[in-house]
Amino acid sequence: MSGTSRYNRQIILPEIGDVGQYKLLKSKVLVIGAGGLAASILPYLAAAGIGEIGIVDDDLIEVSNLHRQVIYKTSAVGKGKAAEAKAMISELNPQIKVNVFAEKLSGKNAISLFEKYDIIVDATDNISIKYLINDACLVTNKPMVYGSIFRFQGQVSVFNYQNGPTYRCLYPDENSNAASCEDAGVIGVSVGIIGMLQANEVIKMILEIGEVLSGKILVYNILKNEQQKYDFERASNVEMIKEDFEKKYKLIENQIEEIKFEHLLNEIENDAVLFLDVRNEDELPKIKLKNSIQIPLMNLDNEMKKLDSNQKIYVFCQSGIRSKIAAELLQKNQFKNVKSIVGGALAMKRLLKEEKI
Amino acid sequence: MIEVKYFGAVAEKTKCEFEKLSFSEELSLQKLLQNLNEKYEFESLTFSVAVNQKIISKSADYTLQTSDIVALLPPFAGG
Repeated sequence: MSGTSRYNRQIILPEIGDVGQYKLLKSKVLVIGAGGLAASILPYLAAAGIGEIGIVDDDLIEVSNLHRQVIYKTSAVGKGKAAEAKAMISELNPQIKVNVFAEKLSGKNAISLFEKYDIIVDATDNISIKYLINDACLVTNKPMVYGSIFRFQGQVSVFNYQNGPTYRCLYPDENSNAASCEDAGVIGVSVGIIGMLQANEVIKMILEIGEVLSGKILVYNILKNEQQKYDFERASNVEMIKEDFEKKYKLIENQIEEIKFEHLLNEIENDAVLFLDVRNEDELPKIKLKNSIQIPLMNLDNEMKKLDSNQKIYVFCQSGIRSKIAAELLQKNQFKNVKSIVGGALAMKRLLKEEKI
Repeated sequence: MIEVKYFGAVAEKTKCEFEKLSFSEELSLQKLLQNLNEKYEFESLTFSVAVNQKIISKSADYTLQTSDIVALLPPFAGG
């Protein structure tokens, strides 16, 4: 049977065998984010014969993704990541089922999505979504396989595995502002290695072999070929029930109003409003409007006193994620009229070009 | 002599990945963190603290022992 010969070299491992292969086939894994980490997670899970894989991402492929998101072809620039990733891994292994969710993970869809899977893999690139994944994993009682990169260093851990420690036990302070790849820079091999280590944890959990990185965070430095493990414990106050989750996330999401830049074209000459760029100064494309200023998200807490809390402020970043965090921060500090621009500078630049402004 | 290791954005601030510090009087973990914060101005940087490969609360009442290894581990966000 072709199915058996496909997996023969792993089935002959005493730790796997027919029983192990059957466990893989019966498993359902949800991967959040289809970027650099997923570019190694997805093909390895698919090739190993994980029976059902879900991919959540609403991003489109950009040319600047290709150096690290190696499952995408140059000809796919502009297409949806989740659908392209499905096409790639389905061709790699047509025997598995792949589900595409071309949507943003949010408080509204997280629980219902997670309930359909056994293991949740965090392949995202910003902190606030990691708390969301963590909390939804707590509500649905699923393990979360965490991976993350800072330049040439990476972190891997498994949270909430058999009631083990969670992301909040490791990082209780939710208002942190660690840099994403867009901010900090990244090379393909480092995300590739960390993604591969995440895939490894998924497979170990399913097969029940080895030691799962539960209650341990692995820190990997690819420049020095060093890896270290740090132990941590489950904190006492991390339980979350569905009601708490809904209160926390639906409220926040409803509070931040998002607006499309196409509705704001008549505001770009209006001195009464302010366009606030929360990207770092080196991020491209530059957006310079008559009424725009730049305060990187990292500095916003200290520098928001420069701003008028009664002014109408439209916040933007590169893609519309950091701007929501910034808008939330401003709202918490009594700014009354703040909106976040959907799609960020990339969407704005496109429109400004079309309108020849 | 203790060793302090820095990771991620914290190492960007300290401009080194580790350093050895000697101290003559009794030094608590909290005091060490306070000293480092004054020296490097971590400001809004968040990090967890490990002593000898085990993450403990930054406010833990711990007196550092000779040959302890402390690590400052910020969250990473890239992917």
